[in-house]
Amino acid sequence: MMGKEIEREIKILFSDAVIDSTEKNRLKIRIKKDLAIYLLEFLKSRGFNYLVAISCVDWIKEGEFELVYQIGKIDDPLRIMVKTRISRDRAEFKSAINVYKNAQTYEREIHELFGIRFEGNPRLIPLFLENWNDIPPFRKDFDTRKYVKETFEGIPTLEESK
Amino acid sequence: MDRNQLSKWIKQPGKMGHKYSLWAVYFCTGCGIIEVPPVITSRWDAERFGVMAAPSPRHANLFMITGYVSLKTLKAIIRTYELMPEPKYTVAFGSCPINGGMYWDSYNTIKHLDKYIPIDGWIAGCMPRPEAIFIGVTKLWMMIEKGAATGYVRYRENYEYYRKNQEKVLGKLEWPPLYPLGEKG
Repeated sequence: MMGKEIEREIKILFSDAVIDSTEKNRLKIRIKKDLAIYLLEFLKSRGFNYLVAISCVDWIKEGEFELVYQIGKIDDPLRIMVKTRISRDRAEFKSAINVYKNAQTYEREIHELFGIRFEGNPRLIPLFLENWNDIPPFRKDFDTRKYVKETFEGIPTLEESK
Repeated sequence: MDRNQLSKWIKQPGKMGHKYSLWAVYFCTGCGIIEVPPVITSRWDAERFGVMAAPSPRHANLFMITGYVSLKTLKAIIRTYELMPEPKYTVAFGSCPINGGMYWDSYNTIKHLDKYIPIDGWIAGCMPRPEAIFIGVTKLWMMIEKGAATGYVRYRENYEYYRKNQEKVLGKLEWPPLYPLGEKG
């Protein structure tokens, strides 16, 4: 099976990667942040040229952000998830844009909503938010109810303002 | 044309012609736009009621705001509303423009649309069905008949209030004020 071959090759090249292959057609690899981009390049050279998405998880109690790269191949049901952890206080990482060109928009979204800076991405400009001057809203220490009370509910209606 | 309406047609032909041919701006605002193609195509034909999709906001007099309004959309809605010539009417669909609806605690949507542009009628639902949209249109006719659909007059007279609220959530606006500010009193 394709999954078993890739698993063996990754174990040889990246010896301290933790691989979980218990589910069918799903391969989850946890790797240190210095080697993550090299693992992505290796996977692309083996034919996995489809980046499905990049997502981010805020582990606030451990003080880390976790980036998850979902990689696949067009005709193959196998999906590979590459997970790395970066520090929450100094949130910066290298961009995957030289490996997969469509990483540009996912990194733009993560930069706007979590505040992680990606070096090498030329387009880290706002995507969804207008006139935003608070902390990045998807972080777990952002209080959305308090923000709504201060910004929107303090405005009186037309009858009340007269 | 009914015979009992003949006197109205003779006395106020402008208002009657205005009522029975509302041209709607085809601005696909939020999630409620999924209900508008069935309404304006042949199954639940809106042209029986005189409502047609206008090619440009400069030709339109009805603005249907279907669904939630995020801050990015609010900028476009204000510009489109200010492009329409008077008299103009706005109808808000769904529960999100009324009090925030499903997105009541979201950081990126506004909670009550009447604070930013004037609304004449609200239609409840999530999204309202085409039959509810037609009932809304007939109620708008009754309001125009009585002279109660005066959202645009309210906008002109209280422009300072609306502009202040718009600038509070959107920051400094790039376009100049539509009516001169600070002239009253």
